[in-house]
Amino acid sequence: MTVHSENGLTRPMLTAQNVTKTYQQHVAVNDVSLEVSQGEVVSIIGPSGAGKSTFLRCMNFLEVPTSGTVTIGERSITIGPDHKSPSRKEVAALRRGAGMVFQSFNLFPHLTVLRNVSLPQERVLGRSRSEADERSRALLERVGLSQKADAYPSKCSGGQQQRVAIARALALDPPVMLFDEPTSALDPEVGAEVLAVMKELARDGMTMIVVTHEMAFARDVSDRMLVMADGGVLECGDPRVIMKQPTHPRTERFLSAVLDR
Amino acid sequence: MIESLRYIAIGIGATLTITSSAFVIGAILGLPLAALRRSQFMVLRAMARVYVELVRSVPPLVWLFLVFFGLPQAGVSLVPLAAAILTFSLIAAAYMSEIYRGGLAALGRGQWEASSAVGLSPLDTARFILGPQVFRVVGPTMATYGIGLLKDSALASTIGVVEITFRAGAEAQRTGSGLTVFLTAGIFYLLLSLPLALASRRVDSRLRARYSIA
Ligand SMILES: Nc1ncnc2c1ncn2[C@@H]1O[C@H](COP(=O)(O)OP(=O)(O)OP(=O)(O)O)[C@@H](O)[C@H]1O
Ligand SMILES: [Mg+2]
Repeated sequence: MTVHSENGLTRPMLTAQNVTKTYQQHVAVNDVSLEVSQGEVVSIIGPSGAGKSTFLRCMNFLEVPTSGTVTIGERSITIGPDHKSPSRKEVAALRRGAGMVFQSFNLFPHLTVLRNVSLPQERVLGRSRSEADERSRALLERVGLSQKADAYPSKCSGGQQQRVAIARALALDPPVMLFDEPTSALDPEVGAEVLAVMKELARDGMTMIVVTHEMAFARDVSDRMLVMADGGVLECGDPRVIMKQPTHPRTERFLSAVLDR
Repeated sequence: MIESLRYIAIGIGATLTITSSAFVIGAILGLPLAALRRSQFMVLRAMARVYVELVRSVPPLVWLFLVFFGLPQAGVSLVPLAAAILTFSLIAAAYMSEIYRGGLAALGRGQWEASSAVGLSPLDTARFILGPQVFRVVGPTMATYGIGLLKDSALASTIGVVEITFRAGAEAQRTGSGLTVFLTAGIFYLLLSLPLALASRRVDSRLRARYSIA
């Protein structure tokens, strides 16, 4: 299903080159590179504090990397040795390339589910209200929430809120979706609804980067697994291979810890 | 008695003018001031901070005298009513910006991040996402501040603005019955602040029932 860039058929959809992020003295992400082909699903795993979220957030410049290059589709931003901040325009253009889903959903609580999904389309893509609403309803249907369109987020379960958040991100037609532990705040049964939606997205060919502790999802759905620790990459490859025979002792320790739970 | 009532009631107009003008102007000027407090430029942040601290640590009466008696020395003479409106507006702006800042802080980082992630511009984020939520959170606080402003407006009597307290003072001198006269003035203030207090409570509970905003 996935076309890897190595075989030369497609160009990478998203590239991170030598991305580094430091906070004061602390190096949160240390020179990490990643290439994701169109339709590929990459899961990022690793212990708490490994830098997974920070790395993911550098992809859409929610965190501005201290140095490195991020390319999504045609858009690219490089933070060079002068650490000059990119312009707001450049960042906005890059962000159009990636939808993001947060651990804590972050829906807009003062807007109905439908408005949550429609408003960004209207403001960012300039769609008319009816156009946006039509698209929103189609997406809500896709994530199984047509009946919640007029409800406020507070009247939705966590799993429903997260599926709305996915619809909101998809509504902007991003070529890539970024997920930061989308099910960590949810009970396992509820998380399963969300994972099912994500699985379907992956099957439909969406390019995805997923930070997760759901090892079954990582194994079954992702094409590649990136294992991070202390801001760096321990290993990267076929999730089944990594989970069966990790090459790094730290990976082994981490895996046995999460699989025991 | 009735005569005193009528006499003092003349002052209601000026009291309401000062209070409502300062409230509205302060609420508007407070917005950019609150935004400055979050600016990425340290100088702007510091300037806004200094303004707020300065305004809050000097008594309103001193500001009023500075504007009314001090500004003419700098070549700006204002009639008492204008001086009072200007003073209370500038003071209100400082307090309003603090109220907004508190409301923004209560929203947390998630709303801002989600707005950025979907690509909303900072202005759109303020207008469609943060603004409406902040106003819902701070509405009651603003109403409370408005009542405070109403009471503070009595200070304007000291520079000769013909508002409730000024009229009451004059009437007390004329009739010599300070008790009834100032009780009447007090009742006027109470009646004026009551609608504001009730409205804020109604709005607050309605909004709370509808959205449970964190
Ligand atoms: N805004 C910040 N300021 C300072 N340090 C930060 C900031 N954000 C993250 N860090 C630090 O960077 C490191 C990586 O954090 P990050 O959140 O990326 O880890 P993570 O792998 O996502 O962990 P978790 O599994 O707990 O979510 C941590 O040591 C964290 O304390
Ligand atoms: Mg994280």
